[in-house]
Amino acid sequence: MQEAMKIYFELNGEQRYVEIEPGESLLSLLRRLGMKSVKSGCETGDCGACTVLLNGRAVRSCTTFAAQVRGKRVTTLEGLGDVDDPHPLQEAFVEAGAVQCGFCTPGMILVAYELLSKNGAPTPQEVRAAISGNLCRCTGYVKIVDAVLLAAQWKREGKWR
Amino acid sequence: MALEGKVVGRNVRKVDGLALACGRPKFTLDLDLPGALVGKILRSPYAHARILRIDTSRAEAVPGVACILHHGNVDRVPYTTAGQGWPEPSPYDNFLFDRKVRFVGDRVAAVAAETEEAAREALRLIEVDYEVLPAVLSPEEALAAGAPAIHDEDDAEGIYDAQHNIAAAVDIPVGDIERGFAESDVIVEASCEIPYSQHVALEPHCVIAYFDEDGRLVLRTSTQVPFHVRRIVARVVGLPMEKIRVVKPRIGGGFGSKQEVILEPVAAALALRAGRPVVMALDRAEVFTATRTRHPMRVRVKLGAKKDGTLHAIEMEALSNTGAYGAHSLTVLSNTGSKTLPLYNKAPHLWFHGKAVYTNLPVAGAYRGYGATQGYFALEVAMDMLAERLGMDPIELRLVNHIRAGETSPIFEKIGEGREGKPQTVKSCALEECLRVGAEKIGWREKRARRRREGSWAYGVGMSVSMQGSGITGIDMAAATIMMNENGSFRLLVGATDIGTGSDTVLAQIAAEVLGVPVERISVYSSDTDFTPFDTGAYASSTTYVSGMAVLRAARKVREAILEVAAGMLAEPPEDLELAEERVTSKKTGKSVTLSEVGHRATYVVDQRHIIASASFVPEESPPPFAAFFCEVAVDTETGVVRVERFVAAADCGVAIHPKLAAGQLEGAIVQGIGHALSEELLFSEKGRCTNANLFDYRIPSALDVPALEVVLVDSEEPSGPLGAKSIAEVGINGPLPAISNAIYHAVGVRLTRAPFTPARVLAALRG
Amino acid sequence: MRLKIKRFHYARDVEEALSLLSAYRGRGAILAGGLDLARSFNPKLEGLIDISGLGLSYVHEQDGGLRIGATTTLTEVLESRAAREYLGGFLAEVVGQVANPPLRNQATFGGAVASAHPWADLPTALVAVGAEVRWVDQEGEHRARVEELWQGEFRRLLSSAVITEIFLPPWEGAFAFGKLSRNVGDIALLNCACGLGIEDGKVAWARVALGATPRRGRRLLWLEDLLTGEAPGEELWQVVREQVEANVEVGADRRASAAWRRAAAGPLLARTLARAAEKATARQR
Repeated sequence: MQEAMKIYFELNGEQRYVEIEPGESLLSLLRRLGMKSVKSGCETGDCGACTVLLNGRAVRSCTTFAAQVRGKRVTTLEGLGDVDDPHPLQEAFVEAGAVQCGFCTPGMILVAYELLSKNGAPTPQEVRAAISGNLCRCTGYVKIVDAVLLAAQWKREGKWR
Repeated sequence: MALEGKVVGRNVRKVDGLALACGRPKFTLDLDLPGALVGKILRSPYAHARILRIDTSRAEAVPGVACILHHGNVDRVPYTTAGQGWPEPSPYDNFLFDRKVRFVGDRVAAVAAETEEAAREALRLIEVDYEVLPAVLSPEEALAAGAPAIHDEDDAEGIYDAQHNIAAAVDIPVGDIERGFAESDVIVEASCEIPYSQHVALEPHCVIAYFDEDGRLVLRTSTQVPFHVRRIVARVVGLPMEKIRVVKPRIGGGFGSKQEVILEPVAAALALRAGRPVVMALDRAEVFTATRTRHPMRVRVKLGAKKDGTLHAIEMEALSNTGAYGAHSLTVLSNTGSKTLPLYNKAPHLWFHGKAVYTNLPVAGAYRGYGATQGYFALEVAMDMLAERLGMDPIELRLVNHIRAGETSPIFEKIGEGREGKPQTVKSCALEECLRVGAEKIGWREKRARRRREGSWAYGVGMSVSMQGSGITGIDMAAATIMMNENGSFRLLVGATDIGTGSDTVLAQIAAEVLGVPVERISVYSSDTDFTPFDTGAYASSTTYVSGMAVLRAARKVREAILEVAAGMLAEPPEDLELAEERVTSKKTGKSVTLSEVGHRATYVVDQRHIIASASFVPEESPPPFAAFFCEVAVDTETGVVRVERFVAAADCGVAIHPKLAAGQLEGAIVQGIGHALSEELLFSEKGRCTNANLFDYRIPSALDVPALEVVLVDSEEPSGPLGAKSIAEVGINGPLPAISNAIYHAVGVRLTRAPFTPARVLAALRG
Repeated sequence: MRLKIKRFHYARDVEEALSLLSAYRGRGAILAGGLDLARSFNPKLEGLIDISGLGLSYVHEQDGGLRIGATTTLTEVLESRAAREYLGGFLAEVVGQVANPPLRNQATFGGAVASAHPWADLPTALVAVGAEVRWVDQEGEHRARVEELWQGEFRRLLSSAVITEIFLPPWEGAFAFGKLSRNVGDIALLNCACGLGIEDGKVAWARVALGATPRRGRRLLWLEDLLTGEAPGEELWQVVREQVEANVEVGADRRASAAWRRAAAGPLLARTLARAAEKATARQR
């Protein structure tokens, strides 16, 4: 029998104490906790739709065991902002026309968030490299790159919270 | 001059954009349903086999298993998974479960259980004895004398020639092809082949089947065709249509893969049998092997032309592999000719013929481009060859031959959607301008004249053109309802299916333009068979044009009703009033009333009525969008590696209702096309098992694989379309394959006619 | 994930990790980043032992060489100054091409050695520089060159061990890395790592590894011999092209044919050697 276990971790700024199965993926845990922005596109780490931030770094939640986040900080797209108070990156994605079907969008925004937290003035090529692990089949990536560059510009102009 | 309205032609906020950017739970599986069972499918390990015995007793004993369905305990109803208008032009050669399996991954049984683990365990314990049959793994084998018949069941309907594995066939002669070639000064021939490729919508196929408080079956599903889902599920599971409600939430991409009714009948049957909600989600490997693919096709094009470049005869022959079932087999095949040949309408002698054949490989279906992509690959490579033979610039050759506004082609009438088409005169065409703009942006003249070479890297430029349609003439139907709230806002109800394209936004823009309000005053609700009017669905580049016309008509009716009420308030005849900026204003006196005042009066005060209207639209023609594609490639002559350095596309989609969304469609289609050209191909073992059914091996382009990409929307105005619009969704995917192949030829002098152009294929061609 | 894990352990030290591992008798596995484990389908696996808390995440420079802790992520390697400076940026050049940022955030250096995927880029580079793996098992501490380790039954050997560190030795010359693939995001259809020491205008030593052939990276000793003592330059690279096409051992897989690999290996190696020679000559100055 599997032995259920309980872990503490921080989810979008809140301490959580949850029961998990020892072999459960972080993707499964987060969706169970209602974080539906975390999408399942392949479950093999290849598409990036399930990307979350773990201690500020983008990782695939499908290839991360839930048990691995014990004591760590997890941020999903819900933790960045919501429709009544969106994050500038979320605004930028809408503004630039980077959202088509929206399925890759949560992962895209989170890898962009990590990029912009390290590099406030990325080149288009640096943006492409940063999002290269996140697949999008709708946009051809053009407007996603535009969106990240726009958000970076807003950040430099002091428009981020 | 193209229309630029208050709302139309502007990049308003996508109506669902922010919610999606904030990760709101809007997709099919984002709904948690307490007590739902998990549905899973047992799949055939063999490419071709008869099921001799199936024993589910051990599987049923697994704790948590609610029910198991297989051919022995469900009704046998022939149907097609192709989500098309009724009666479908695809053969009824599918069964919910059959006594025979026809490809590796075909359905054998389905389980519903309390947990995914229990469902998997049950699948493992279902005992099946197979009689393995010889498998047919290529169209050539399928047509060979003595080939095993894949569809030997006697109750399939609509197969062209089941005994010889021919699902569908076309033979369309125009003029006298032999005379045409005899009278031609120059003849060239190209044969191009497209392999199995997949849509790779990021969201895998999924569905939730549950019962509402009245016991009606609700299917919340990732589909492009909610109304076809309702009709087909009703047929397969034997429920009256009115007992089924299909809801399409937000969809994570489709590209045709969800124009198929694949999972819904299984989920519905499991839910009905178990009397419980059932959730089904395919994994990525199942999406690759057991949903649908592009039809692999070999297309041969023979062109005859006069010395001045005028085409005189065109023969196009297509051999299409429809896989184990015939979904879209006839119509994709037909479109290979019907969406390509009218482009070069100068040739009086045409012959389009071909077959779609069954094989024991995954099932092909609708995929963006829908046969035209396959046709244009061969046609545009042949045009490049012809230009070379004539010593003409490839652009010049297109200019000499392409259709213009005011012109027609006999093909429009000869080939329709599984039946004859309708005559049509092209009313808008800005292809000349597309060619001019694209050539200028890529630097065609200079680059074409001087080939660049850096070490082992050779550079070249190539081009292609294409057209598509806007909806299906005489078959598609869309309806819209608009109701006014008393505060002057509106509810727009459409059957049209936004699968990420932004059609909810585009349709709201059309309504807003007519009703004189900003888009924010229109709330859109789409694709719910209980609460929205009918629409055939999101396919065939139809939504902006067909659904857009329905919305336009409904909005005009509502506008009339508003003006009538306002006329009473302002004591002036409606024709003296105008509706703009949320007010009705007298053109004579300048006096005005707000929409809110109109709404309150109509709702509560005098001569009360709900200001509401519905309208339908059936297209009498399918105006083609046009596009010209230009690209620059670098070919490593030592290793065969090809890099697309630059890509320019100029497209005429009529008035772009939302230019950014239109450009996004074009960009996305082009990058899919580049993937087809360079890396995408499903591979199979000698027993027909797919060996790269994952996103690690099946490489779709990443952000780093996209060249410098520039798209230009060239203005035109389509008089038959809503506010001048025609379609844009598909036309872009037809360009990259031939443009890249032609650019490789320009760079290194070899023709790549088999996609994808992998390093191995390119190097083999270079080494002769 | 399809694994049926019964328990997840957070090891506090190497000893605890080892004793847990031995208690599982082959049904336990060490987890660092977890990437390859999460993608695996081993139905036997019951216990996972997380070693990310053992203090094995570090990059230290040592006498021009590099010591990399087993649980150091590829991102941490890229962010470390010592790693970026090692061999004139060679390691960073390779690691920066591995997969993509989110996967590099999770994948560990030790994990790359333990999995040693035949198509992967890092093993080819590690073979070329003669990296040494250090691990601990019930019998004590061990070390071995990767090229020797991977020749044997290393998966069985490492299944009862904890990799602690990878040591990359110093070199006086320069290395370059080359890769051919269908598109940028793709894994290699063929990769190579080439190191050259140049003295008095001649090749003093050469280290050449070719990988994804489709086998894991291996040194081409005959090519190293051929290069040694020769003057780098277009003439030599032409010889490399010809000799490699004539002599290289390559195979086919679903990604590429043997014929293509045979044809492409020469140009790939010649170009990568040319880059290494250029860097080595520049370094000498």
